[in-house]
Amino acid sequence: MAQIQSKGANGTAPGGQRTDEGGFKLKFCTVCASNNNRSMESHLRLAAANYPVISFGTGSLVRLPGPSITQPNVYQFNKTSYDSMYKELDAKDHRLYTANGILNMLGRNRDVKWGPERWQDWRVGVPRLEHAKDQGSQGVEGGVVDVVITCEERCWDAVVDDLFNRGSPLNRPVHVINVDIKDNHEEALVGGRGILDLADSLNKAAAEERNLSPTAFDSGHTASRANFDERVPEIIGEWQERWPSLPAVWTLAWF
Amino acid sequence: MATPALSVEQQIKLLEDARTLVLNDANYYQQILQGILPIIDPVGRAEPQRSEAGKVELRRWGADFLAETFASPSVQAQQKETLCLIILEMLKTMIENPSEDNAVIKSVVQTAASIYPLVFRWIINNSYDTSTWERMQAIKTRILRIWDTAAAGVRMCCIKFAQRVVLAQTVGPDADPRRGDPMEVNLGMVPLNHPLLTPRNLEAEASGLLDRMLSIFQESISDAVLVDATLNSLSILIRTRPQVANRILNVILNFNPLKQANSPMTPKLRVMVKSMEKTTRLLLVDVNKRDPQNPLAGRIQQYVERMMRSRNEIFDEASRKRGPPEPTNGLDAAKRQKLGGPVPAPVPKFHVPPLAPGPHTIAQLFTVTTDEGLKAFDVSLLNEDLVVKIGISILQKLNADTLKQAVGGIRQRYDSLKAVQLEVLNPATAPLGIEEDDDEYEPDFYGAEDTEQILNKLDSAPSIVEKVIEAPDMAPTSFVLPPPPAMTTEEVAQIGQGTVTRVFGVMQTLEEPAKKTKAGLNRLAASSCDRDDWITIITRLATRSVAGLEELDGNIKPEVNSVVPASLSNTIRESLHLYVLEDFRKRIDIAVAWLCEEWYNDKVQMKLGEEAVLHYERWVVKVLDGILPYLDGRDKVLTRFLSEIPSLSLEVLGRVKALCRDPAMVNLALTSLLYLVMMRPPVREVALDAVEDIWDTYDDAKPIAAKYLTKWRPGFAERLKEGGEEKKTNGVAVPV
Repeated sequence: MAQIQSKGANGTAPGGQRTDEGGFKLKFCTVCASNNNRSMESHLRLAAANYPVISFGTGSLVRLPGPSITQPNVYQFNKTSYDSMYKELDAKDHRLYTANGILNMLGRNRDVKWGPERWQDWRVGVPRLEHAKDQGSQGVEGGVVDVVITCEERCWDAVVDDLFNRGSPLNRPVHVINVDIKDNHEEALVGGRGILDLADSLNKAAAEERNLSPTAFDSGHTASRANFDERVPEIIGEWQERWPSLPAVWTLAWF
Repeated sequence: MATPALSVEQQIKLLEDARTLVLNDANYYQQILQGILPIIDPVGRAEPQRSEAGKVELRRWGADFLAETFASPSVQAQQKETLCLIILEMLKTMIENPSEDNAVIKSVVQTAASIYPLVFRWIINNSYDTSTWERMQAIKTRILRIWDTAAAGVRMCCIKFAQRVVLAQTVGPDADPRRGDPMEVNLGMVPLNHPLLTPRNLEAEASGLLDRMLSIFQESISDAVLVDATLNSLSILIRTRPQVANRILNVILNFNPLKQANSPMTPKLRVMVKSMEKTTRLLLVDVNKRDPQNPLAGRIQQYVERMMRSRNEIFDEASRKRGPPEPTNGLDAAKRQKLGGPVPAPVPKFHVPPLAPGPHTIAQLFTVTTDEGLKAFDVSLLNEDLVVKIGISILQKLNADTLKQAVGGIRQRYDSLKAVQLEVLNPATAPLGIEEDDDEYEPDFYGAEDTEQILNKLDSAPSIVEKVIEAPDMAPTSFVLPPPPAMTTEEVAQIGQGTVTRVFGVMQTLEEPAKKTKAGLNRLAASSCDRDDWITIITRLATRSVAGLEELDGNIKPEVNSVVPASLSNTIRESLHLYVLEDFRKRIDIAVAWLCEEWYNDKVQMKLGEEAVLHYERWVVKVLDGILPYLDGRDKVLTRFLSEIPSLSLEVLGRVKALCRDPAMVNLALTSLLYLVMMRPPVREVALDAVEDIWDTYDDAKPIAAKYLTKWRPGFAERLKEGGEEKKTNGVAVPV
């Protein structure tokens, strides 16, 4: 069991910290069911690459594996910190939760932010200044993002559906992209790498558009060739060729 | 060239600080916005010497800030309404500049979409403000002009702007401030004689804009960004503007998002087609989920199912990719043949069926036949010699490959059993999601979703179906939900208390009935669900529910001062007591109603058996004790209480007497007693005794008490005269 753990996910992987080269940054949001494994792995990865990033879960409750499949550990979103989950599970059964990698995961998460947040409770556009200590919080103080990346198709469905319900009062476009990742530590690592690659590709295109000399514009004609929003499907298509095991879906929605 | 006082970076840093300030406290927006506007001025008046690129940077920041400000849910709509008036001119200048930067234009159009309803509302209420409306009209005209030619990022924002205009300029649900948004803006709010706004023209404009939005679905080549942008903005129109919902849905139902899916598909086209199909489907599913009775529900359902099928056909080979690679364990006969040099005679494939999930016997593990009859045959019945003979002759004739295949099959069975255990132990690949999370996800609502899920599962399932690896013994057996753990008395009491609290909550919210209707004697109690009924219910719950079940302390009948057991009834009584005392002047009728119930129940209990626990007396005294300290000299409430409660005891009268210690209350106490004397003949004597006691005890009360006694107690006047002479000698004058 020990050797499996050493290979296992999170903390052991080098953070992939990049030096910040400044420049334009797209704002990202990662989403999975419980805001614990997949979305947090990619949250950490994007934050380490200096992207502004926040993360959410679309489930009704945070569910972590328990001693058996019928006995999950269930927590409230927005009310339970990763730290308290860590301490509780550590006290409950240190061996079990070390062996299944849960403690390792929670240990990583509590260094990233306070606790799991629920997508449906997120008040888009409300300032997030109180999250200043979260990793990746710099740049998302305004409480909006440019790109939402979900890690499972039903999370994507939940996000798009929720945006229908909100009635798009902010008039702000947002690209919602699903990257299908199986919910285990190993796949989350792979998925995290894929998401970072996607983020890099998108950001490159967005930065290119902004760097064009403003005098080159003639109200759209030549500029449309380099327009970021228009290039998104192309970028995803190219990315999909590089990451065939992570099927993607995309839409342009509104906050 | 002179260097600007501040570099662009420094300037933006300062602007960011200002932004942090308003993000922290939205009240500063007015000041900060006024300060920021000159800095981000499109003409660049503040720093004419700044480079063009620097000016663009500042304008980008500024336009972005405006978009954020007018989208922010933390800024009140009323506040935005005033703020938007001061930025209109700047927005107009920016958007009318033909060489303006795309990012700036994009933010300006977003801002315009956010403020359009605000300006519209402002004009409805301030019809004199022609210049504001003209500015807004100019911005609108410009946005509608660049809609077709601008870059995609700007065009999608134009679509959103048009959606806002349509929303504002169509009739919405009746403006009911209690429901929905108090800042709701729609055509119904425009007065018919408005000097600037003509509802008929506005409606026609909205209708035209909607048609223009929907025309994207009729184009032969669809740009996914724009189609998605339209689809995702239509939901609110369908929901809140029913009169245009059918028009929108009919257009979408005639849209084929898969029409561009002709081979060969580039990766980009694949993403676009998939996206349009999925977004269309999700929108339609949402419409049906929201209103399953809508007239188009059937057509929508058909459309969704048809899309699902076509999509699966088109993307079939693509989704197949997901299956894990075929196991290459060298046991596959087909592969082995390719590797071996000379091709041997084809060997009939020997199939070893995999084990079903669950525990198995050794015999089952090694049984390779599928013949049920053979399986049932018990070999141990045979003679040992015979078995050996059969065995040897079979081995001689048996093809080596067939044997190998059989052994391989058994080995695979072993492996699969081992794999089951391994899977449990590998933390890196163990599934983390507890996929029971169906609360808001409704897979069975739609047949279509179901099919999709099944397909998804099939996609990711191993392509070799025989290899069944299942967790041991997961088959559903008959499962009986264990009964909940028994609750302790305390828990029961606690929950009971909770219920009672809620009933009181209900009572407090119910208004007092405006006028009481006399229902007559034969009415049924608690049948009209008003406050009185709840009172009836709660008092009867208190008095009757456990009557006769209470334990007696020893054999003392009326337990007066002993510790009261915390039963449900007593909890309710306690709550009632508090409820009455909270506002006893208004709730005295409740107290009387309750005490009548108590009294009645006590009588019933006494009739039923000798050993009843009596409550009435105890609670009368308690209520009275609660009221007395707060009484005012002119309160009628005491008189009313004493005259309405069903029975009076000496103890109660004792409390009333004690009231006279306070000279201010003498009158009240005596009037109440006089009322009893006059109106309740059965207690007349007792009440008069009380008055006499008062006369005896409290000097302040003597004059009035004497007056009453003279009138009501025969012979008192004489006694008084006799006594008066004695008293006169003591120097106390008693006027009669």
